[in-house]
Amino acid sequence: MNKRIFISRSGSGSKSRWQNYTLECSPELTVLDALFSIQQQQDPTIAFRCSCRVGMCGTCGMQINGVSRLACKTRLTELDGKDVFLAPLPHLSVIRDLVISLAPFFEQWRKILPAMRSRDPESQELAVVPEDSAYMRHTAGKRDCITCGLCFSACGVLATNKHYLGPAAINKALLRVLDPRDTARAERLEILDSSQDGVWRCHTQMNCVAVCPKGIDLTESIGFFKRRLLLRNGELES
Amino acid sequence: MIPPRILVKTYLSPLIGMTAYFIQRVTGLLLLFYLLVHVHTVHEISGGPVAFNHAMDAFKNPLFRLLEIGLLGIVILHALNGIRIMAIDFGVATRHQKRLFWGLAVVIGTLIFIAGALPLFMHSVWER
Amino acid sequence: MSRNAFAWYMQRITGALLVPLLIAHFWVEHFMSATLMRGDLTYEVILSRISNPWWQAIDISFLLIALYHGLNGFYGIVLDYGKIGSRAATATLVLLVAVGVAWAIWGIMAFHNL
Repeated sequence: MNKRIFISRSGSGSKSRWQNYTLECSPELTVLDALFSIQQQQDPTIAFRCSCRVGMCGTCGMQINGVSRLACKTRLTELDGKDVFLAPLPHLSVIRDLVISLAPFFEQWRKILPAMRSRDPESQELAVVPEDSAYMRHTAGKRDCITCGLCFSACGVLATNKHYLGPAAINKALLRVLDPRDTARAERLEILDSSQDGVWRCHTQMNCVAVCPKGIDLTESIGFFKRRLLLRNGELES
Repeated sequence: MIPPRILVKTYLSPLIGMTAYFIQRVTGLLLLFYLLVHVHTVHEISGGPVAFNHAMDAFKNPLFRLLEIGLLGIVILHALNGIRIMAIDFGVATRHQKRLFWGLAVVIGTLIFIAGALPLFMHSVWER
Repeated sequence: MSRNAFAWYMQRITGALLVPLLIAHFWVEHFMSATLMRGDLTYEVILSRISNPWWQAIDISFLLIALYHGLNGFYGIVLDYGKIGSRAATATLVLLVAVGVAWAIWGIMAFHNL
């Protein structure tokens, strides 16, 4: 089976353009495999990033046929039709071809104070959260973020408002706000309550949930804040 | 430059939530505009029976009846999708959002639309 | 509750209230009598309903709730297009409130000649 792979080429100020390559595709080939094959046998100048190749590191994120996905986890056979379109992740700075910088992602990430602010920074003891605690139960399924940036690039709100915090940052904030060891909850809630950047800009488009490679229910995390800020002025029962 | 047929498939699934958002926005804006115009036309009633009935005659035109049926469709879509959004917002339906869109907003919406539009269509358009 | 939280919540409350109000409105204007089912929406038919002060109260509430829902929704759309600065945001809010008040008055005044 032959497929035509269109790759968005760009770099150092030049406008992006599509360049296509034809590839013989065996059934188990992933988009990442295809990129390696094209780079080794057809065009050594194409630029793309990867690391683990098994969906753990989040490095190979790119837009595949209009959807933000990990190249190593996307088999060519699951893409309909003969043509495959590979473009760099939207809403991030493009360095060259499919290589982007996550700087805009982490700029929003830092705004929610991602590090835990401990009650006693000088303490030598471990601050343990037990396995069966309320915190572990409430954050089940929310702790697996690999900061791949797929949700950030898929979000329709970020397409028009680059100041929006984004799903990953808000989910991270959830992990800190629910953490019984943390003391910066009030500061975070204020940032999340911002009328133009905060959780209120989420309109439950749920693109983030559709693309998250770890299956995190990001819209639910954001909704948690809307209901908390709404009903209890930041008060939590546990 | 991604071919439209690929994008259409994407926005019908997996990104149907985004399509629902577009629909909600567009129908919302249309309805807001309609509301503002509607208040104006209803205000005509304060001009007395002659002026009001004269104004209403303009709306007996089949084009307006069709627009009215269109309005019904837009209201139903916006309202049912709005209910779906509330279910998502209250944390009960994030897992079911796609099924809710197709099942509630589209299927049930179409049924309600037919129930509401058929009488309108039959009595208003064919009797003129 | 923060101001944004209140607006978000009210959008849902007004939306939920509009569902039965709209169903009632559609019923009342198109199905309540044989004349209406024929499509004959005349002054006399409407007057017979509107002279009842309970209907006036329902209609006015309906108008105010719908205006709030629509204009609040519009404000949300404006906020989605990047950071517009707090002065522009306040100016937009003032404009929308003005439109809301103007249309509310215009709508309520429709009853004054009956």
